[in-house]
Amino acid sequence: MIILLKYEIYRRWKWLAIRYAALIVLGFIFFNRISSSPMQYGIIAESMGKFFLVSIVVFIIIIIEGINMLKEDLYEPCGYLTFTIPQKERVILASKLLLLFIQLGLWGMISIGFGSIFFSKLPYQEISRVTTQIDSSLYPTILFILTAFFNFVLMVHLSLTLTKTLLVNKKYSGLLSIGIFFLLAYLIEKFYYGPFLNQIRHAYIEFGTASNINVLSGGYTAVFLNIILTVVFFTATAYLLENKINI
Amino acid sequence: MEYVLTTKQLSKYFYQKKALDKIDINIEKGKIYGILGPNGGGKSTFLKLAAGLLNPTQGEIIIDNKNPGVYTKSIVSYLPEINYFYKWMRIKDALNFFNDLYADFDMENAEKNIEFMKLEEKEKITSLSKGMLGRLKLTLALSRKAKLFLLDEPLNGIDPVSREKIITSIRDAFNKKSTIVICSHLIYYIEKLLDYVFFMSEGQIILAGGVEDLRNKRSMSIDKLYQEVFQ
Repeated sequence: MIILLKYEIYRRWKWLAIRYAALIVLGFIFFNRISSSPMQYGIIAESMGKFFLVSIVVFIIIIIEGINMLKEDLYEPCGYLTFTIPQKERVILASKLLLLFIQLGLWGMISIGFGSIFFSKLPYQEISRVTTQIDSSLYPTILFILTAFFNFVLMVHLSLTLTKTLLVNKKYSGLLSIGIFFLLAYLIEKFYYGPFLNQIRHAYIEFGTASNINVLSGGYTAVFLNIILTVVFFTATAYLLENKINI
Repeated sequence: MEYVLTTKQLSKYFYQKKALDKIDINIEKGKIYGILGPNGGGKSTFLKLAAGLLNPTQGEIIIDNKNPGVYTKSIVSYLPEINYFYKWMRIKDALNFFNDLYADFDMENAEKNIEFMKLEEKEKITSLSKGMLGRLKLTLALSRKAKLFLLDEPLNGIDPVSREKIITSIRDAFNKKSTIVICSHLIYYIEKLLDYVFFMSEGQIILAGGVEDLRNKRSMSIDKLYQEVFQ
């Protein structure tokens, strides 16, 4: 697993280094700008906005790369090299997901780190207003969003793997992958999250804010549901890779 | 007789197209086999099934008493026809990759072979010519102490000088503990290596036999026999 992870990093280390270095360097540039312009809230807000914009771009790149990590091996000739090494396909898949997990973790640390510093530069009244809005649901919400995006990548992996299992040639594979993805999304919403969200809505209406849960996050239960989904997607993709797929 | 690879009614369909149709093959340990036939005859499909890249539609393939999986991948050295390296790799990276991921990879031997094949370790794989790439693929595949070597068209697109080097390498790599299966339609070059041949067309074995037996019975070389069979 560690050797596979090493090669996953090695395959794209230049882009990894550039991406995080750019995020950190820009973070420091904006931090300097904010530090040298105390009480100039326009500059602070502009710097914060620009930093978060860059951060979102990096996040999108990480997600796209997470998808491509498996897509390349399924559809490019290099898949012959990847899938003839004496390792279980689930280990190969896990090494890719581990890199995605590390990337999201690093991105989260850098973005939240700089975000906290920028927030601390805001005037007292602004901070107090924000902090009152940020209640205990913040962390489960962040976790929910991160696990949801992780699952998004896994769902694309499952769609691609299922497509490759059903269709050998590339023709129409893109179309089929998209179709499978939306079908999965529909089924999950209808039979998995749907009933759960209804319960949350019901609790929210019934007990109001006193229930300490809201529609957006659903607390740690939503994160737990995401983790179950992660396990399901991973197991299904690994099963197809090990038993059904034709490279 | 000890078989390293056995198939029972092995079939592979791609939708309605039969790539392999109920193949029964026994591959004995310590021999060099040739699977000969025109393009699209099912040779590469057979090797991909043995390498664990494809799953059979019907039937079974057994390698060293196991179905294709992690164990068989650890004892099978597969050389595909295509360039299967990662784009970022230099020759040195490919050597390290094989050394890290295959327990039976002999780095010392690989480095010697790289020199013999006149390749430079620092060269980027994307900048190699087809001949150099063929030599590199073969060097890596043959530098493993594998029980079974599966070589798919190792001479395709290779210049005559490189072909001789490749033939020499295959001969040097062979020992009585290993088995080599070569798929090719360039019979003239590989004939001298082979102990046994299967002629394959449209997913079926249409002729099989020991090279010496076939030569004696038909009074012609395997190359000539191939031309006669597939005329």
